[in-house]
Amino acid sequence: MAAELLLAAAATLILAVVLAPPRVQRAGLLTRGLVGLAGMAAIAIAPTLDLILLILLVLAVLQAGLVSHRDFAARVRAPVLAIALLALGLAFERVEGPPLLVRFGAVGIVAGLVAAIGLLPYLHEFDPEESTVASPIPWIAFVGPLLAVAVLSRVKQVLPADVSDAFGAMLIGLGLLNVLWGTIAAWRTESDAAAWRYSFLSDWGLILCGFGLAIADGQGAALILLLSIVLGRLPLYLWSRQGVRDKTPTDRPINLLVAAALAGSAPFAGFAARVMLLRGATQIYWPLAVVLAAAMLLWLPASLRLGRSMGLPRGRQAIGVAIVLALSVFLGIYPQPLLALAG
Amino acid sequence: MIEVGAALVVWLGAALIVLADARRGLALGLAVVTIGFAVLAWERGQPIGAIALVVGGLTGALRGWTRGPATWGLMPPGSTPRLVLCVAAGLLSLWIAASVTTTPGAPLLFAVLVVLGLMAARVLSGGDKDVDLTAIACFALALASSPALASSIPTGPVPYIFGALIAAAVVVAPATLPQGSARAGKDGG
Repeated sequence: MAAELLLAAAATLILAVVLAPPRVQRAGLLTRGLVGLAGMAAIAIAPTLDLILLILLVLAVLQAGLVSHRDFAARVRAPVLAIALLALGLAFERVEGPPLLVRFGAVGIVAGLVAAIGLLPYLHEFDPEESTVASPIPWIAFVGPLLAVAVLSRVKQVLPADVSDAFGAMLIGLGLLNVLWGTIAAWRTESDAAAWRYSFLSDWGLILCGFGLAIADGQGAALILLLSIVLGRLPLYLWSRQGVRDKTPTDRPINLLVAAALAGSAPFAGFAARVMLLRGATQIYWPLAVVLAAAMLLWLPASLRLGRSMGLPRGRQAIGVAIVLALSVFLGIYPQPLLALAG
Repeated sequence: MIEVGAALVVWLGAALIVLADARRGLALGLAVVTIGFAVLAWERGQPIGAIALVVGGLTGALRGWTRGPATWGLMPPGSTPRLVLCVAAGLLSLWIAASVTTTPGAPLLFAVLVVLGLMAARVLSGGDKDVDLTAIACFALALASSPALASSIPTGPVPYIFGALIAAAVVVAPATLPQGSARAGKDGG
């Protein structure tokens, strides 16, 4: 999975640089994106979780060092908390002790992962006026997807089999929390920029549920959703910022198409992922599928709002939106090669 | 006994960083933490790792010693909560390492737990950039040492070298990428 996500992140960076509005400093964006990609590549090939945490520490310091309205301490706080929780959890998994200690370790790892990405209950401080690179968005939409896959695959090596069920249950619980909070907040919040940020949370909620199910359908759904964040929601968020700033909601067909893609409607990628997730949840525990289906209905009003907030894409922005929608349709109609590639 | 002493030295260094607000106190704390972790690595049969930790940690400490105003800033007024935190974190880590777990590497576990806990608390409590960078350097040293907790997995010097490099780099290198505008819309949105 990590290789696919790395390629997707590289493709998104190329899209963001090539199709950026003329006033964007492309060299700076490319440099910072390449630094992030290098860190992600290192995370993907790191053999142990300890090395991943050290790489994460480097990325956190580099990002916190970027010029921003928020000070260094405010921006480094969340990643450091995440690394501390992950490291404590890992330490408890490694030592010999009572079963309770091992379970505490699992709690630490889940809490650390959620804190690293910036999900509830560890929401990173968000300033809509801040540049995207220095904001929490790279954690939730660029580095986060690959980080989650890398951490979860390495954790399987240290987590005892009897704790795996509790680990999965925690992921599902936090997933549901983020689905509900993300969709409702993206619908009801006053700020359009904040609504975009909350929409990432709701996608991550489904991803956590997919990983928590620990069956092929759940993992497949999580992979498609991760790719739809990196290749879909993130570039759309970047291109929506001008419309959000101008406060010019638009109701053109393109806005409806974007809303449909964000809501996970057929034939976009999110639809296939949602079907797989519901099928997996039905296999494991059918009431979970009912809750997930009800939560998915909440996506619609928030997605319509986000689609309208984009304004009318023009020039390069329009080309970018068209590419992203085409990719999403391709992933939605024909996800099988991707799933086979990821095993 | 050497390992127990080294673990207590690590706790002392971490406490210094929690209790200090100025460069000399922070640099001394980083140096003490470095020496403690290096001794623990040496005792666990990792001489290359120990040397790497000493080089990386002391490079960071030396840079910290020479940067900013030459004051210690130890226990400024209002430090009582920080002192209580140091003692409580030490006792809690000691309880977990010595009583809850049955692992043979109790001193190393104590050192890792106490540094992770105290440094995270230091960063979360909000300080200036030098304080945070020193705490992050200690974090790197603790993360580099923690793979040795797994008795079943042989650990080479790679984590130590990587951790030592980070500990040195975060204090020595200017913690900024090429300067850009903080305003939205200049760097990709």
